[in-house]
Amino acid sequence: MTTTDARTTPPLLGAGGRRSRSSLRRSSARLGWAFSAPALLVVAAVLIFPIVFSVVMSFNHVNVTGNGFQLNGLTGQNYSILFGSQRYWHDLEFTFGYTVVTVTVEMILGTLVALVLERLTVARGWLMALLLLPWALITVVSAQLWAYIYNGVYGVADAIFNSVGVHNLNVLGTPMQASIAMGVADVWKTTPFVAIMVLAGLVMLPGEVVEAARIDGANAWKIFWRVRLPLLRPALAVAVMFRILQAFGLFDLPYVLTGGGPGTSTESLALLGYKVLFNDLEFGPGAAVAASTAVIVLVVCLLFLKVFRTQVGEQED
Amino acid sequence: MARRRRKNLGTNIAALVIAAFVALPLYWMIASSFKGQVDITSAAAVPPHPTTANYGNAFSNYNFGRYLLNSAVVAVCTTVIVLGLGTFAGYALARLPMRGKTSIMTALLMISLFPTIAVVAPLYLLLRDIGWLNSYQGLVLSYTALMLPFSIWILRNFFLGIPKAMEESARVDGAGPVRTVIQVILPQALPGLFTAGVFTFVAAWTEFIIALTLNNADQYRTIAVGIALFGGQFTTPYGTIFAASAVAMLPIAILVLVFRRAVVSGLTAGAVKG
Amino acid sequence: MRITNKRRQTAMAVTAAAVLALGTACSSSGSSTPAATGSASGTITWFANQFGPTTVDVRKTLIADFEKAYPNIKVNLEQAPSDSDTYRSTLVTQISGGSSSFDVYNGDVVWPAQFGKQSLALPLNSYFDSSYWNTFSKGLVTSLTYNKQTYAVPLFTDNAFLFYRKDLLQQANLPVPTTWEQLQTEAAKLQSLGLVKYGFAAQFDSYEGLTCDWTEFAADAGAASVNADGTKSTIDSAAAQKALTYMRGLISSGVAPAAITTFQEQQSESLFTSGQVAFLRNWTYAYADSNTPGTSQVVGKVGVTNLPTFQGETGPGYSVTGGWNLYINPHSKNIAADVDFLKWMTGTQAQTIMAEQGGEIPVVASVLQNAQVQASNPAYPIAAKNKLNARPSYVPQYSQISEAIYNNINAALSGSVSPQSALSAANSQINTALASNGL
Repeated sequence: MTTTDARTTPPLLGAGGRRSRSSLRRSSARLGWAFSAPALLVVAAVLIFPIVFSVVMSFNHVNVTGNGFQLNGLTGQNYSILFGSQRYWHDLEFTFGYTVVTVTVEMILGTLVALVLERLTVARGWLMALLLLPWALITVVSAQLWAYIYNGVYGVADAIFNSVGVHNLNVLGTPMQASIAMGVADVWKTTPFVAIMVLAGLVMLPGEVVEAARIDGANAWKIFWRVRLPLLRPALAVAVMFRILQAFGLFDLPYVLTGGGPGTSTESLALLGYKVLFNDLEFGPGAAVAASTAVIVLVVCLLFLKVFRTQVGEQED
Repeated sequence: MARRRRKNLGTNIAALVIAAFVALPLYWMIASSFKGQVDITSAAAVPPHPTTANYGNAFSNYNFGRYLLNSAVVAVCTTVIVLGLGTFAGYALARLPMRGKTSIMTALLMISLFPTIAVVAPLYLLLRDIGWLNSYQGLVLSYTALMLPFSIWILRNFFLGIPKAMEESARVDGAGPVRTVIQVILPQALPGLFTAGVFTFVAAWTEFIIALTLNNADQYRTIAVGIALFGGQFTTPYGTIFAASAVAMLPIAILVLVFRRAVVSGLTAGAVKG
Repeated sequence: MRITNKRRQTAMAVTAAAVLALGTACSSSGSSTPAATGSASGTITWFANQFGPTTVDVRKTLIADFEKAYPNIKVNLEQAPSDSDTYRSTLVTQISGGSSSFDVYNGDVVWPAQFGKQSLALPLNSYFDSSYWNTFSKGLVTSLTYNKQTYAVPLFTDNAFLFYRKDLLQQANLPVPTTWEQLQTEAAKLQSLGLVKYGFAAQFDSYEGLTCDWTEFAADAGAASVNADGTKSTIDSAAAQKALTYMRGLISSGVAPAAITTFQEQQSESLFTSGQVAFLRNWTYAYADSNTPGTSQVVGKVGVTNLPTFQGETGPGYSVTGGWNLYINPHSKNIAADVDFLKWMTGTQAQTIMAEQGGEIPVVASVLQNAQVQASNPAYPIAAKNKLNARPSYVPQYSQISEAIYNNINAALSGSVSPQSALSAANSQINTALASNGL
């Protein structure tokens, strides 16, 4: 895309104040490129090749060998294989449903947690520190922790259910239960992320607006819904978007907890991609899974932004 | 008066519920890390025969101290570089009149949503060709590139919320653009900086598949990879894994606790001045 | 179009040619006497996951003894991830990326066809003369071969056994079962007597282990999942349906816990070692494990025997072959030393260490027959009597076939689809995989 523009020569730095007014706009545009070029260049240099290569593979007959990747001619077959496969559509449906449910739950809970955090005084720092811990837990380990908790032989989840009279629940044994179990683990690990993003947004809100509403006699609930939530929209939008990204990439939990089972009922697109790429060594169809996932997530994100009425890059003045 | 107290009570109860939900699985992990090989298969809430054997195992059978150091080096470097580059890019994309900002933001979004598993193999080829396999800089570069898009998005968002008047007055005072960003904008955007920083640090600390693939040599392995080496063909040694993870969590816990004041005041500073 | 650049390829071809010359030179000089030291030298890296007991690292013992026998060769041990799919993903990326950071690597017994087809492993025929392969059973050599080339040497083999509670059978005055039907009746009886919570445990989770278990039950009933020349699925048969119906019956009758559909080796074993189940299908390691005081509550009460078969078939039942192989990285810069290492590892001394200290079944028949080795583990004499059966890993698309098997069988076992529709779904997925035109 436009990332190549970033190679424009950087202008002189630190000269903004002494410029004549007429050239100020042009020079600050150049300054903009100078400021963003290093970051954009790093991203482009490292990721453009792998992504383009992956997309190219998805349109080729690919053979992975001990001597590298052989691309044996263009084809649309990788995609027709995918779209003709029931498993792909099932995995897409599962991933989509899982994303909608977990992101919704996490956004609601995360916002509530942020509101609680905001009102805490002394305890705020401690609670925030605690909240960061599940999130800082290595993802695979967190999945293993939950696998241990849900273990069908000695898991504490079973023990708890037994003690309230629900016997032989077999937590991971049915598709619905396994999905819920994964959702709980996900909510536990990522709600703190949402909460901290929302909290950071909350404290950035201009205090006067809320004060004005309070003077007008609005109650706390009304202030939240009518004044603060609309102002929070940009912060929430970014949080939702990146949660959608992460949730759509769901991998560790099904990989460790269920292996996609029972059957393939909890197999996510990322897990499918992984199996096709690295178990089956079918890099063509595997790259097609990845590329099609990326397009789907992009569409979801853009639709979301449109609905949320937050422009991607509104031009300032 | 009574109403406020009731409100505080509600807040405190909510805080306790949140703390319990977050802490219980963590407690379970830490308690289990002190359980021996028999107790690990029991659902006892307190280890009946507490032992530190799992901790000894993690450090003596594996190069775990080294993995900790590697993770720290990689995560700290990544965070510093991401914040450094991301702040200026985020500021430019929020404030400066550049053409094609929308396309840039969309491109960044697209890049960050491409599944990592699909880019691992080509990324390996790329770093092989520049000779950065089995090194710190290879991982740091990859992580920086992977985590910059999100940080730019967050930071830009926060910069958009800062009143323009402050930059104007800084410019009138004769401050150059770099100084303006560092002295005027950054203090305003501390919460955003904190969010982006924590996100980057944690993501680098916990990343697995890239670290596994790029750094095969034991002296460059990170914790996430180290823990995946534990165990044999048919066994998942939960005790050892949890012990190692508890140790891996410790630096982050200490970091957050030490900076607890700074974090909270950083967050509130934005509110007061904004 | 190739990603590797030309210069690298040329360089590699030159090295390969040089090494090849060296390799053939040394194999002609001293293949009959393994103690021929000094033919190769240098340092090689062995990429290996942990095997054997967790208390002693038998890999280090093996390396130390190898270095004593070959003082000019030094072996570095590089620890590999314990999860075999994770391990394979990093192997594939590194080898296809031209990495020579390891020379010899451990690999699953079901990988040779896939790795051979994708040339991720060095073909070994030119480095080992034909007499070398005679030390192993014919079935074992076949499992290492794809398209007439051999891609690995066996490191150790693994078999499945029936582990049972001697004490419980004695209390109820029951014989050791030799058929699956008998096992189910006896298990139900032990449960109804209140002697034990569950009757039977195995590995029915949706993963590779279920393909192993399935292959055994199916073979006992007279079914195979793929035909012998690997061109067509044969999983949708009456015999297969008998096997699957029996497996599902274990769960629906309560003999096996409902959670068995989430069991891998670890869960099934811990149910057994905690004394909650009477019969267990598991691998060799479970015998030593369940007799280790401190981790097991059934020490001294464990019997081991061959797996049962279905009524009317000649016993014993089939055991699949598991275990690990040694492969050579095609980019290795010291193939001569690699070959020495492989030869030593499959020799009498290493295989004896493997059996006595590693608790793994040796791949050399003469070592397994050795009286002292047999005395070291009660499972070994049983293993010598095992009727073996391989998973259909002779087809390079094995991993897709295995997925088709365990996904559908697991779905049927957990009751979400009927055995009939699971088998017909598996059938069409296997055929799609064999035709290489689908997921």
